Amino acid sequence: MDTGFLRVLLDPGHFFEARMQGEPSLKVPALIALVIGLIGAVSAIPMADFTMAMLPAEMQGLGVLMTVFSAGVAFVGGLLAWAIYGFVLYFVSMIFKGQGDLKRTMEFTGYGLIPQIFGGIIGTYFTYQLLSGLNVPPVTSPEQMVEFSENLVTILATDPLAQIAGLVTILFLIWSANIWIFGMKYARNLSTRDAVLTVGIPVGLYILYLLITLAGWL
Amino acid sequence: MKPLNVLIISLLCAAIAFTAPASAAPADVTVVSSSLDPPVLMKGDTGTLTVVIQNTGADTVAIRSARLYGSGVVPLSDPYPSVGELGAGNSKTFTFTVRAGNREGTFYPTFVLDFRDAAGSLRYPVPVQVENTPLSTSVISKPDAFAESRTADITVRVGNPRPNAASGVQVVPQGSGFAVTPTGGFIGTLVPDASGTVTFNLTPAAETDVTFQVVWRNGINTHTTDLMLPVAFGEDKRQADPVITNVEVTPIAGGYRIVGDVMNAGLESARSVLITPGAPATPTDPFRVYVVGTLDSDDISSFEVTFTADGTVEEIPVVVEYRDGDGNRYEATTMVGLGSTAAPLEEREDGGFPVTGIIVVVLVALGVAGAIYYSWKRT
Repeated sequence: MDTGFLRVLLDPGHFFEARMQGEPSLKVPALIALVIGLIGAVSAIPMADFTMAMLPAEMQGLGVLMTVFSAGVAFVGGLLAWAIYGFVLYFVSMIFKGQGDLKRTMEFTGYGLIPQIFGGIIGTYFTYQLLSGLNVPPVTSPEQMVEFSENLVTILATDPLAQIAGLVTILFLIWSANIWIFGMKYARNLSTRDAVLTVGIPVGLYILYLLITLAGWL
Repeated sequence: MKPLNVLIISLLCAAIAFTAPASAAPADVTVVSSSLDPPVLMKGDTGTLTVVIQNTGADTVAIRSARLYGSGVVPLSDPYPSVGELGAGNSKTFTFTVRAGNREGTFYPTFVLDFRDAAGSLRYPVPVQVENTPLSTSVISKPDAFAESRTADITVRVGNPRPNAASGVQVVPQGSGFAVTPTGGFIGTLVPDASGTVTFNLTPAAETDVTFQVVWRNGINTHTTDLMLPVAFGEDKRQADPVITNVEVTPIAGGYRIVGDVMNAGLESARSVLITPGAPATPTDPFRVYVVGTLDSDDISSFEVTFTADGTVEEIPVVVEYRDGDGNRYEATTMVGLGSTAAPLEEREDGGFPVTGIIVVVLVALGVAGAIYYSWKRT
């Protein structure tokens, strides 16, 4: 369990301290990112199906294409999120004179994404719950489809279930941030204070953005 | 005949001639005045004819009887069978009750005074006018249209085109299916060519006919004249007319929100204006009902209502309830299409409140907090 996932979640300090003894490896973090992407793809399918349902029969082929495309984008999204988090943390840590290679940073950032797997699973559940309660109106023109899509966004933003899903996302993001603090501390050789700031500033801003979105201020 | 007898008879006649009291001639008795109450009768009316005679001579006149002979009118009272003597310069009044016939015009019943002692009689035609013109009635003020339970002011004017005064004039509304205040209006005496008005507050409960009965007296005779006013419901040209515009339908979680403007395009104020979504929509919080209040003419107010509706519903009625100044309630309905905005969430079994979600959030929060606490404790 010295390098197990449970240790990453509950005792990231000692986990990353132990990982620093070996060469950086991106295999496991990449796997974690792919799992997150897979969950995102699964989550995107019901949304695409829902959109397909309002398309006329002659456009159902396009709908299938759209479903595949959405799932693909969501799948790649996991890897993309990993990369973005890694680079952001790497560059922010540079402000605090962090030292350590990018590969190590990416590795530890990837481990820090593990809570997102749980968040993704719960989020997917909420997405299914939300979409199963929606009625698909008859749409006969592209204008109506655009109007419906805009309304759908409004509904998803205002539904309590969607807001709860957003809160769950934030909670798991906080958990990830906690892991990243320990990760940056070792990967970039930062003090605990600098590691907290390195992770806290970008994640804090992102959480603020999420909260504002949930409150409907945007 | 013997000369003596002739002489005796002649002396007797002379003695009678000299001893008998002196008597005025009938020509000295004249009718000095006559009057009729009421001055002008209507057909079938009963009136009182008064004749005053005066002895203008220097001697007493013996009168046996006085009577009235009808012409166009019927004397109802008995004649005066034994009048007696009328002293010099004295006058005497005779009163007869008469009833007008069924013809109009001026009639001359004859007043006859019979003198005693075969002194002849006095015949005097008394003019009696019979005119059947009733009082005229008209509605001079009423609303353009009546509405159920809406109080309307109705003004009735009563005029007197008759040559004599009408007394005790009053107007009494009659009929069913309405309430009226006052229940009757009193005008009193109307002299010739005068008029009086009475205003009623009429509140119809159904379409009906209201009869304004004008009751009045000509002398002792009571007459009525009816004026019928049909009460038919219609649209008041001045009434408030709430119009809904600028409607925007937005789906929200669990239903829809409609925002828009309501404007009073009528000429009168709309009071206590309430806006609600009608069936098949089901109003929901926070805006089950939107209270606008009073909307004066040309006023505009925004409103917002929230509701749920089945996904198959394409349009719902937005109901505007309002009252007029009398408190009568009206409704105006505007259909609002939901169109492609029909994407509400189905109502959850727990009434829309995601209890499970809250529990999950709490559990996750506890778990994350515990994990973070544990990770720092281990450091």
